[in-house]
Formats: sequence, C-alpha cells, structure tokens
Amino acid sequence: MKLQTYTLRYLVVALLGVIAVWAALFYVVILDETYDNIDDGLKNSKIIVIRHAYANNKLLNTPEFGFNQFKIVPLPKGVKYDHTDHFESTFEFMEYDGEDQPVRLLKTIFEDANGDPYSLTIRASMLEEDELLQDLLLALAVLYVMLVTSIALMNQIILKKVWRSFYTLLDGLKTFKLGNGSKFRAPGSPVQEFRMLGTEIEDMLKRNDEIYASQKQFIENAAHELQTPLAISLNKLELFAENNQLPEEQMMELGKISDTLHRLVRLNKSLLMLSKIENRQFAEEDAVDLNRIVKQLVEDYSDLAEYKNISITIDDREQLHFVMNKGLALTLVSNLLKNAIVHNINGGNIAIKLNANSIIIKNTGSTVALNATHIFKRFTHNPENEQSIGLGLSIVSSIITNYRLKVDYAFDGSHIFTVTFPK
Amino acid sequence: MKILIIEDEQGLREVIRQSLEKEKYIVETAYDYISGLEKIGVYDYDCILIDIMLPNGTGLDLVRELKAMRKKEAVIIISAKDSVDDKVAGLDLGADDYLAKPFHLAELHARIKSAIRRKSHGGDTAIVWNNIKLSPEQRSVLVNDLPLTLNRKEFDLLYYFIINPNRLINKTALAESVWGDYTDQADNLDFVYSQIKNLRKKLKDAGAEADIQAVYGMGYKMS
Repeated sequence: MKLQTYTLRYLVVALLGVIAVWAALFYVVILDETYDNIDDGLKNSKIIVIRHAYANNKLLNTPEFGFNQFKIVPLPKGVKYDHTDHFESTFEFMEYDGEDQPVRLLKTIFEDANGDPYSLTIRASMLEEDELLQDLLLALAVLYVMLVTSIALMNQIILKKVWRSFYTLLDGLKTFKLGNGSKFRAPGSPVQEFRMLGTEIEDMLKRNDEIYASQKQFIENAAHELQTPLAISLNKLELFAENNQLPEEQMMELGKISDTLHRLVRLNKSLLMLSKIENRQFAEEDAVDLNRIVKQLVEDYSDLAEYKNISITIDDREQLHFVMNKGLALTLVSNLLKNAIVHNINGGNIAIKLNANSIIIKNTGSTVALNATHIFKRFTHNPENEQSIGLGLSIVSSIITNYRLKVDYAFDGSHIFTVTFPK
Repeated sequence: MKILIIEDEQGLREVIRQSLEKEKYIVETAYDYISGLEKIGVYDYDCILIDIMLPNGTGLDLVRELKAMRKKEAVIIISAKDSVDDKVAGLDLGADDYLAKPFHLAELHARIKSAIRRKSHGGDTAIVWNNIKLSPEQRSVLVNDLPLTLNRKEFDLLYYFIINPNRLINKTALAESVWGDYTDQADNLDFVYSQIKNLRKKLKDAGAEADIQAVYGMGYKMS
C-alpha cells in the first residue's frame, strides 16, 4: 500500500469519528440554545398573557388554542397548586398542512384578580427550529465530505512535495549496484530527516563498497596464491614426464597425480566462479539472445553428443531475450546441456524447448528421479563419476538466484529442467 | 628466438624456462617490475611473457611501457587472475594474448608460437610439418598437397599437435584447448581418445608422416 493511501485510510476513519463526536456535541448545544430561546419567548408571552388577563376578564375564557397561541382553563378552587413553569416538547396537529408538527408548550398555573386559579398553556411552533437542526445535520455531512476530499487532496499534494526527496533516494537505491564502480550520491532534501537518511545510506553503502572491494581483493589474492603453486606442480609434473623415459606403471602413476591436480584446479576454478557470482562480480550486462546461445552450445557439444549417439532437437519457435551477463548465460546453458549429455544413456535424446520466458531441457537418462532438493547443493555428485566435482548445478543455481530466475526439476520418465525467466 | 619471462614466482619461472629451452628458445628471466623494465629497455625479444601481479608494479604497466617504447615484441600476459576485466585491459593495452594460470606448457607453447607467427609473417601463417601443411586461418589441411577433410574437433587437435611436435601433451590440456573450459567430466577424456583414434586413422589413410602415440596415463605425443 502506498504511503498516500495508507495515511488517507487512517485520516478518513479518524475524521469520521471526530466529526461524529463534534457533531453530536454541537447538536446538543444548539438544541439546548434553541429550546432556551423558545422558552424565553414563551415566558415572555406568559407575562403578557397574565397581565392582559388581569386587565381583561374575557381573556380568561380561552379554553382552546385558537387565534391566540394559548389556552386558559379554570381549576377547582381551594387546592394548593404548584406555580412553577413546566416546559415540554410535543407534536400537535396543524390544520394548515394536515400533519403533526413539533411544538413547545409552557404549562403554568396563575390566579386572576379575584384569586381564582387557572391553568395556562402557551405554545410555540418549533417548525423553523426543527428545520434548522435538519439543516445543521446536512451541513455537517457536507462538511465531512468536504473535509475528507480536501484533506485527501492536500495529502496528495503535500506528501508528494514532502516525500519527493525520499522517492528520489529510493530510485537512486534501485539502480545502485555494488561493485560496478559507481558511487551512491544521496539527493539533497529540505527535510532534515531525509537528509540524515541520505547521508546514513551513503555512508553505509560506502562501507559496503569497501567491504566488497576488500572481499574481491581477497578472492583474487586467494586465487593467485592457489593458482600459482598449482601451476608450478602441474607444469613440473608435465616436464618430468616429458624428460624421463619412465616405465609404463610409473607413467600411469604420474598420470593419476596429474588427474588429481587437474581436479583440484577445476575445483578451485569452480569455487572462484561460485564466489564471484555470489559477490555479483559479473557486473556487465547485455540483452542476451538465448536462442543463439543454445544453438551455439548445441553445435559446440554436437561432437560429444554424436559420440554418445545422443540426438538433440531444438524447438526455438519463440524468441527468448534476457538482460544478463553473457558469460553467465553461457555458463548457465552449457552446464545444463552438459549435464543432459553426460548423464544421458547411449542412444538417448535431448529435447530443448525455448519459450518467450523459459528454457526447457528434457533428457533421457537414469530411470529413477533425482532428488530435487539435493541436486542444486554443492558437492552433490554421482559417486560413479569420480572426475565430477559436483559444482555444475550449484553454479547454475547461484546464477539463477543472482538474476531472480527459477529452475525446476521434474521427472516423467525423462529428466526435465525448466529455467523460468521473469518478464 | 629470444623470450623474456617476467614472473615473480621462482618455481614457475624455472619450469617455464626449462620447457622453453627444450624448444631451443633463448630464455631470459626477470622477477619484478624494475628488473623487467631494465631488460625490456636494453634488449629486444621475440616474445615477452608478463605476469600481472609483480613486486614493485603491475604487468599491465610494463605492457604500457613497451608500447610507449614502440617495441614490436609479441606480448603474452600470464595471470592468476582469470578475470575478464584484466583480460580486456591487457588486450586493449596491446598485449597479443592472455593466459590464465594454471596453464599447460603445451598450451603456452602454442600461444607463443602463434603470437610470434602473427607478428612476423603477417598474412601467410601456414604451419608445415613433414608432409603436412596446416593453415589455421583457412582451417584447411594439405597432406602431400592434397586436401584432407577433418571435422572441427579433429582439426583443432591436429593444430595442437602440430604446434607442439615431439612433446608430451597432457590429455586434459588437449580437452581444454579443444573444448574450452567445459571439461570437468571424465566422459570428455574418453571422447578425446575416440577423436584422436579417428584423426590417427585419417592421417594414416592420407599417408601423412605423423604418428600420434598414447603416453600411458598422461596424454599423447606426435612424432
């Protein structure tokens, strides 16, 4: 979820709550104020009515609300009455619109000039006030919508502005790759936190770059240190075998030593290759034409395949291009292809299919499925083949990881390796 | 033919010197940047082998110096750093070839010979051995002036033998030179054997004066 949506989601919910509470309070206060106003008016009317009733007896004879908005009902004498004012809100039938309408009533008791008690009820229509409250509610609803919309808009604009330097930083990070010689430069920002984040990342990447460089240096030095003694022993052995007329058995023994040394050389080279891939030291990348690579490698291996009477078919109706290091692309395909040839049976076959985003290599071989969880691990190899060092498929696997590809193994009588390239 | 080896590792320096002297080259050696620079400045050679990592400087600087002096020597960089960057840098500076350690002596001879040949002969680069004439550029072979048809691998093998005559060639060296780096399987060695059998038969049928013998356990030799 994007930052904008995320904040907006909380703001909308929070605003709903705040506005609801605020509206409720506001409503109660306004209602109270409205009643207060009406009640003051009613009290005023009461004084006027009572004053007129004193002056004019006729007025006492108003048993129904009529022209006047009050009625006076005589009460039995000799009872002690409560003279306080009582207010109540109720509905009364109004003739003009044939409906019950809200009214406010004031009920009280007074004595006329003769001291006789009367009950007085004065009413006031609350129609306008009621409409006022409805309007208020509507206004609040509109206010809510307006607030949410304007906050969403401001959110959009402000966030975009405030976080601009953050997104620039993020874009910079996305394209940054360790070890290709480029330095990471954090963009400037008016926001202190982002400036700090920028410099921290810059420092961190600089440290990483240094560690990376020293690790690379270590690998190279280790390579140098190992390759040179290996070169010396191998070459000395070669010269020794060449310079001396040795009996057959001794020559065989020398041959075995030489084979073992060669195995060590391959092991060393493969381990170096693995760590180089894992350290992402194959930085140079192009759009690689995998159809061409497959064709070229099948051609390269055709003699070897012929020797084992293996037929290879390529279905390359679809084109597969992928941006990666060309050397690694070659290594990836060649290791898989070599595997398919070496672990094949005499007279077997290999079918290679190229799709827009995958390569499928299907080959005959042993009649039992391989253990899919083990084959990509280091030093897993066929014990019958002692020249194999068991790193071929783990090199495949680290190339796969490096480029976020996927490799799957399946068995349906043939062994099927599928490499899937992301789109 | 004079060759200069600039290599700091004494063991390797000596083994290369012995091997080259067997080929009747006159060999001189230097062990670091300074001694290498002295020799380059004073003498002329046909080919110079330069290690990249040297005490007191790098081999790449030496190549740079050589080019600055407008020297015409064939230069082969030998390095333990089998890295593309170094290879590209070396070849860009004007080195003729790049060989990663560890290498086979037969491979080194092949590289030296082809580098010198390219420098001295210009266009005509056919190699003649007894009654066999092999043109690497045209990838053609003539036996007694009659063309001999070989497949790609057989041609590569013959080229390797003819450039290293009378020398024991390790079977792994053969496999590597013909199949590049893809040779970590025993199958390939059997395959080399079967290809050599075919090559031998074709040479014999064409009447070539070449005999490829197996040297038990180690490899092959053509004489």
